[in-house]
Amino acid sequence: MTLSPSSSRQIEILRQGSGAYHPVDPDGFRHYVREHKNRALQPRLMTAREAVDRFVADGDYLTYECNYLMRGPNAVFHEIIRQGKKDLWIAGKFTYVDVALLVDAGCASKIDCGFFLSAPAVDRALKEGRLQVYEYSNVIMTLRIQAGAMGLPFLPVRSFGGTTGFDHSGAKLISDPYTGDPITIVPALNPDVAVIHVHQADIYGNARIFGTGISDVEAAMASRKVIISAEEIVDTEEIRRNPGATSIPYYAVDAVVSSPFGSYPGTCPGYYGSDPEGVFEVFRAVMGNGVPAYLDKWVRPFETFEDMLEQQVGQAKLDAMRANEVVKEGYSA
Amino acid sequence: MTRAEAFSDREVAMCQVARLVEDGRTYWAAGGGTPLYSVLLGKKLYAPEAQYITEDGVIAPEPMLPFEPMMTMVASRAVYRALAWGTMNSAGIHAQLGYMDYGVLNTLQVDQHGNINSTFLGEYGGAGRRFGGPGGADTIAACCWRTILITDQERRKFVREVDFISSPGFLDGTPGARERAGLPEGTGPWRVVTPWAMYDYAPRRLRLMARVPWVTVDEILAECEWKPLVADEVQVLEPPTEEELHLLRTELDVRGQTTDAAGSWITWDGEKYIRA
Repeated sequence: MTLSPSSSRQIEILRQGSGAYHPVDPDGFRHYVREHKNRALQPRLMTAREAVDRFVADGDYLTYECNYLMRGPNAVFHEIIRQGKKDLWIAGKFTYVDVALLVDAGCASKIDCGFFLSAPAVDRALKEGRLQVYEYSNVIMTLRIQAGAMGLPFLPVRSFGGTTGFDHSGAKLISDPYTGDPITIVPALNPDVAVIHVHQADIYGNARIFGTGISDVEAAMASRKVIISAEEIVDTEEIRRNPGATSIPYYAVDAVVSSPFGSYPGTCPGYYGSDPEGVFEVFRAVMGNGVPAYLDKWVRPFETFEDMLEQQVGQAKLDAMRANEVVKEGYSA
Repeated sequence: MTRAEAFSDREVAMCQVARLVEDGRTYWAAGGGTPLYSVLLGKKLYAPEAQYITEDGVIAPEPMLPFEPMMTMVASRAVYRALAWGTMNSAGIHAQLGYMDYGVLNTLQVDQHGNINSTFLGEYGGAGRRFGGPGGADTIAACCWRTILITDQERRKFVREVDFISSPGFLDGTPGARERAGLPEGTGPWRVVTPWAMYDYAPRRLRLMARVPWVTVDEILAECEWKPLVADEVQVLEPPTEEELHLLRTELDVRGQTTDAAGSWITWDGEKYIRA
């Protein structure tokens, strides 16, 4: 076929960032799915300890959804710290104190930055060369995960061009072969592991998230290994009663962890409000070199997150958090 | 509307932004904090049909106020009675499609072309100080039709060139620079608001257009590392009103008045406003 002048536009790379990025391999992902993802409707219910032991490896690229203060997967997060996972590469989008906790706990050595709370622990690790940061933005990170969730190698995006972050990232500016205009493309992100806290899931991993989110569904579909922690384990008949309410289908999920109050000290919208004291305590710890003491008080002494809730938080406070969550509309199927 | 007699720098900036809010337009407010409070203040007092969007894809909520500490997004009170709930990608994609009229941001550092730094002060990777990164601001600054930036009037914040462009302004200031970088055409910075002043762009370069009554143009320029353009007639901005402050203090910025970010206090001594 003869190409007319307008259709013979060449794709040129006009500029590119120099940042390392998690390898892009859509076919490798498909093969992984074929070999490792369980398409049979078999139970995946397990403890946080087992889930982290089996599905989080040193050196993994980790994405977690939401943050420590709001529907964060904190039960699994604590377990990652407790098991002393090393050298994780973190999708640091819409995150807050979490990155500093993981860095200071010695779990993380690379961050793709969208936003995280810049804390003394992070600064120190950067200056000592224990931490490498690659620059993106929140939406660019979730669009990279979207690309990963679509099985694509990259995605064109309308922001990020012209920034200094672009130069420290895996982005490229190319000439668009359709319009001829410059367009930024970013590498798809297929994390090794996603940790997502949801309102309800059945034992197979069919999961319901009520309310807003960051990139829960995209992260579940884009990631090789997916750990769901759920406030409530519901019967599969309940899932089948309202299929439109299923956010994440079972075959994307490797582990389901029953985790009531799993977002403590943050809120799980519709189920319980935050514990402001607990929130301020972690914030103060992170901003004031207090992470080791924080982890020694809240994470390391306990076998499980449930033990921590029982011994360190107490039922009275948990009841108060539930009572404080007065908004219910929209948080059920 | 009653002119108030005592207020903080922070409150002045939020009131000025609130008065820019237009009915029938969409506002993507970055993060929590002053951008969100400013848009809500404007919506409640001046432009009830203005709508706002947050980074978690929430469209036009009617939040249950006051917010809980640090819970200005995702939490149930913050997203209450929205018209739609979404995700970060839905917000970003709607901005890419052109649905966001205004983006409202705050930042560490801004330069003469409206480029924003929220990543690193000093030479990148050197001895400087790391900050949190752009968050949602990069997409807001790239894809909203107009961007309103809130910052402090300090020399270290108004620089000739930012140390790191986290979110794009007019880049090098040449015509078409944003489009050449792949950004949507016709978008860009529109106003910068500080507790002392308001700036527009003439074109693509910051220009001082208005000041508050208690500072002079020279005082403002002394707090710019580089000298912006100055409008032929610099307008004088109205001080906050009691109505604005009441809403800010009781419902919106409930905790902001007691933090370092409040800045100096301005009081009326019977004849004029005095900055403490």
